[in-house]
Amino acid sequence: MRTAFLLIPCVLVASLAGAQTANVQPTPKTADGKPDLTGVYQASPRRGGWDAEAPGDEPGVPAPRTAVSISQTASDPIPFTPEARARAQEILNQRSIDDPTSRCLFAASPRITGVGLFPVQFVQTPAQMIILYEYMWTHRVIPIGAKHADDVSPSFMGDSVGRWEGNTFVVDVIGFKPGIWLTGGLVTSDALHLTERYTRVDRDQLNYEVTIEDPTVLTKPFTQRTTLMLREGTRLREYSCAENNMDPTVYEKMLKDPAASKSFIRGK
Amino acid sequence: MSHSIFRASALVLASLAATAGLSAHHSFGVAFDATKSVMLTGVITKIAWTNPHTHVWVDVKDANGQVVNWTLEGYPPNVLERTGWKKDVTLKVGDTLSFFGWRARDGSPYAHLREATLADGKKLFFGPPAGTGEGPATVR
Repeated sequence: MRTAFLLIPCVLVASLAGAQTANVQPTPKTADGKPDLTGVYQASPRRGGWDAEAPGDEPGVPAPRTAVSISQTASDPIPFTPEARARAQEILNQRSIDDPTSRCLFAASPRITGVGLFPVQFVQTPAQMIILYEYMWTHRVIPIGAKHADDVSPSFMGDSVGRWEGNTFVVDVIGFKPGIWLTGGLVTSDALHLTERYTRVDRDQLNYEVTIEDPTVLTKPFTQRTTLMLREGTRLREYSCAENNMDPTVYEKMLKDPAASKSFIRGK
Repeated sequence: MSHSIFRASALVLASLAATAGLSAHHSFGVAFDATKSVMLTGVITKIAWTNPHTHVWVDVKDANGQVVNWTLEGYPPNVLERTGWKKDVTLKVGDTLSFFGWRARDGSPYAHLREATLADGKKLFFGPPAGTGEGPATVR
């Protein structure tokens, strides 16, 4: 009997592993032998079909859930400086009310990469990797084998240059504006430096890993990662965030009104 | 190769607890209270199929027979259309709509619409779960 109980989890694990590895097809290659990243993907742990809803949610079961994020990015602990940690706690206490994206400003990677609800599209040529983001309806054109331009001007998404390291496409990103809300309450400076690594391990799975450096707000670099899953048949649809964005007006009013502020600030 | 794929997937699943708490547009908790759920039925008076949020207005009769016009907020059109909604087809002015969601913190007839039950009984998600984008209570 006891053996049977022990066997059940073993069988389950074996089944899960089988499900994960079934139908694994090789990474597509370009004519010059590089991995071809071209395709539409969604940040998700799930291969195959669309999964707009987090695991465990079922229609007809309207139970409130604990606080979650629709970002699918997993993170090492963030090595905040004491000042940056205090700022992050203030942001969390205020439930991110003044997040720049509430004003429809662009978000930098890795944030923009990990928003599971909005797919991303890679278009690969020998000289450029073009990444199209449905979220905020924006894009990056990443030259391959080039150096950063001499006239980089601070921007929301930074200046990116790419190179191949074996089967991994590595992107170096600098030239950010200060004040970018990156992750978990971390607000970065103009010293932000990202090293992104994209590896299409098979046809369906593109692994994403990013090392984040910013000595102004971090005591050391840290790493985040997610998996981008191929979504065949999915196309990017326009997301014109500023079309009817009433939130900034409402939020400014809430911040000025002490009673309204108390209603959303944690611990009040 | 196959093992590394499984490990990578399992790692992501196991690491979601450490997920960075940021929203796609704004955090749920600023405007809505996850402890104040609401489930009502009414008649649609207006639809705004717009970004960054779709809105639906619904006339609901309260216990005293008074009609209250509720404003309901949800996903943008790109997400709705990818999850089975069709503009001007799935919802139309004059349709009956039952909705489950969470009320605005200010107590007004404004809610985050999580699940819509259409006149034919079909259920569809219209917005994300409560708490989306709020992040942890303390810095990790």
